[in-house]
Amino acid sequence: MSEPLITTPLRERAQQALGDRFLHEALDIATTKFIDLRREAFGDFPQGEGLRDRARAIKEATLQQLDRHLERLIDNVERLGGHVHFATTADEARDVILDIARRTGARMAVKSKSMATEEIHLNDALAAAGVTPVETDLGEYIIQLAHERPSHIIAPAIHKTKGQVAELFARELKREVAADPEVLTRIARAELREKFLQADLGITGANFAVADTGTVVLVTNEGNGRMVTSLPRVHVAVMGVEKVVPSMTDLMVFLSVLAKSATGQKLSVYTTLVQGPRRAHELEGPDEFHLVLLDNGRIAQIGGALREALYCLRCGACLNVCPVYRQIGGHAYGYTYPGPIGILLTAMLNGTRSVKELAHASSLCGACADACPVRIDIPKMLIELRKEVDEAKLAPWPERVVFKAFARLLRLPALYRLGGPLGRLLQRPFVRGGRIRALPLFFGHWTRTRDLPPVAARTFQERWTALEREIR
Amino acid sequence: MTARADFLARIRGEMAKTRGLFPAAAAERPARPRERLDVLRRELIERWPQSLERFRVEFERVAGVFHRVASASEVPAVLEGICRAGGAHSVVTWATPRLGIDAGPTLAAAGIAVHAMPATVPPLEERRRLREVIAHAEVGVTGAELAIAETGTLVLRSAAGQPRSTSLLPACHVALFDRAALVETLEQVGIALEAWHEGVPPEGQGAVINFITGPSRTADIELTLTRGVHGPKEVHAIFVDAGLRAGG
Repeated sequence: MSEPLITTPLRERAQQALGDRFLHEALDIATTKFIDLRREAFGDFPQGEGLRDRARAIKEATLQQLDRHLERLIDNVERLGGHVHFATTADEARDVILDIARRTGARMAVKSKSMATEEIHLNDALAAAGVTPVETDLGEYIIQLAHERPSHIIAPAIHKTKGQVAELFARELKREVAADPEVLTRIARAELREKFLQADLGITGANFAVADTGTVVLVTNEGNGRMVTSLPRVHVAVMGVEKVVPSMTDLMVFLSVLAKSATGQKLSVYTTLVQGPRRAHELEGPDEFHLVLLDNGRIAQIGGALREALYCLRCGACLNVCPVYRQIGGHAYGYTYPGPIGILLTAMLNGTRSVKELAHASSLCGACADACPVRIDIPKMLIELRKEVDEAKLAPWPERVVFKAFARLLRLPALYRLGGPLGRLLQRPFVRGGRIRALPLFFGHWTRTRDLPPVAARTFQERWTALEREIR
Repeated sequence: MTARADFLARIRGEMAKTRGLFPAAAAERPARPRERLDVLRRELIERWPQSLERFRVEFERVAGVFHRVASASEVPAVLEGICRAGGAHSVVTWATPRLGIDAGPTLAAAGIAVHAMPATVPPLEERRRLREVIAHAEVGVTGAELAIAETGTLVLRSAAGQPRSTSLLPACHVALFDRAALVETLEQVGIALEAWHEGVPPEGQGAVINFITGPSRTADIELTLTRGVHGPKEVHAIFVDAGLRAGG
């Protein structure tokens, strides 16, 4: 397993996040802004709904012939002079990249933002092998200086204030730094520009890869993706197998919805289509191009319960609208991918056991499915995961016993009818202001974060019977 | 590392397990993309003024600076104005034949150094020197293969004489284009991309295509929009009415 062991339970992580006033404010501002931007972008774009359907259909069609599309991608990348590597696990992916670094004598690697390399914890491995990893996306650079991990898929440092960023920069540069985003950005530009020009190795993820033409596609706003793929001698792109799309025509459908969903832009500033290493007649570009195709739990879901999560474009829209994410932020989830889709991806990468708590960190309100550009039915899969957690007996035993008893009760009408008066009797000491807010013993775990509605003074069945009598 | 055959075999094994799939198709790509693109271009040329206007609006919305001149001979004066406004003394450009204009004499007369990139690849030593030149230049001048009206986007292809970093390292990027580059929608870009990849690629083609939609930006610190984080802080587009290419 590649994820570090999480020692504190979700309950405590969430509690800690809820107590962080700044985090709360930052999350509130950020997610609200993202929601508005996304709404505006699609509001001006009547064809957006149809394009989302098309994007979904393309993802499904691609999965149905994934082997063929990957083969075409591999053949085309090789035809263009690139090398393709296959990594079943995160360990294998890291080894492949370390091998390339070693063979090319790389001392420094510049990276553009990539969730796939976060997922395989590449930076630690590079550092241990004597290669200095430098994150170049401004948000990632900030959290690298802070030795933290991203808290949002597309805005990794939204949990930091400009004051905190200024302190980090001051410590790194050993001089006073003003807490002004403009100044801080200028400093990062100058610092990182040197690194771009010095680095031997450029490492990226891939937003898409086009099978037809052997093209790896990177979408950025800052331009670091372009730097990393133009200046160093070697470019390594790491991508999950599900990122392949059949054709350039398909690619344009995804580009039409991706940025609108993520930041509300019509297109991100830079969309970079990379087709192998520098050609002989080009002045610049890497001499070597490597594509690492990553499994790490994905392939097992092609025929699994989480198949639809393989459609994900990593736009972050489901995070912004999620009432749970908006309260606790990304770090409380504890793994690389936060938010509703993050729970599914965590289960995919690390197994069902890893989400026995997280599977419940959702109100199943469905806002995520509404926001998703490819309409992934996240709530349905969360329910599926809860079922698996239950069947694998990973849930706490009192919870399992209670639910089993409740299921039995629901199936026996006579017993259910008896439940009304019985419930009213038992709940009497616990109802406060028309709510059950606290229960004794281990039932208290349940009511710690949830209020239970009490059994009504007259149940629906009782009222129905009375009504029938009246009508007659 | 896993071998290709084993990796693909596992995928096929899992694919065989999937049940209850709904019918789904990828987007339909044009059967003969080059012909399709030719037809599209003839349609577009009828509507270019509307496309240009939409491009201008969208380009300015993403903080681009739009210029329009009657003929290529007026471009150097516009470039000089941009350099003066930004206090620039060093300009890099794509190779002159690729660009369609030669701004050298005008800018040199104004005391601005112009470095046109070579159309062929020099030895490694010279390549290193040129990288320094590009890295220290304040303005980079390029052409544009496409200008997308829907999004205000410029599409650039790397090639011999068209290095990637001309539009990346200098703090100010200026792109020249004419009506032949105008397309209306992202969907039409799909047709162009399909056409560019049909059959044997043209001589001198590079390995990168870039879509550029305004200046480099970030909102990573408290969601405050800041321009020019790694790429250019300023992007200008100069539209040439009479065309840049021979007969264009």
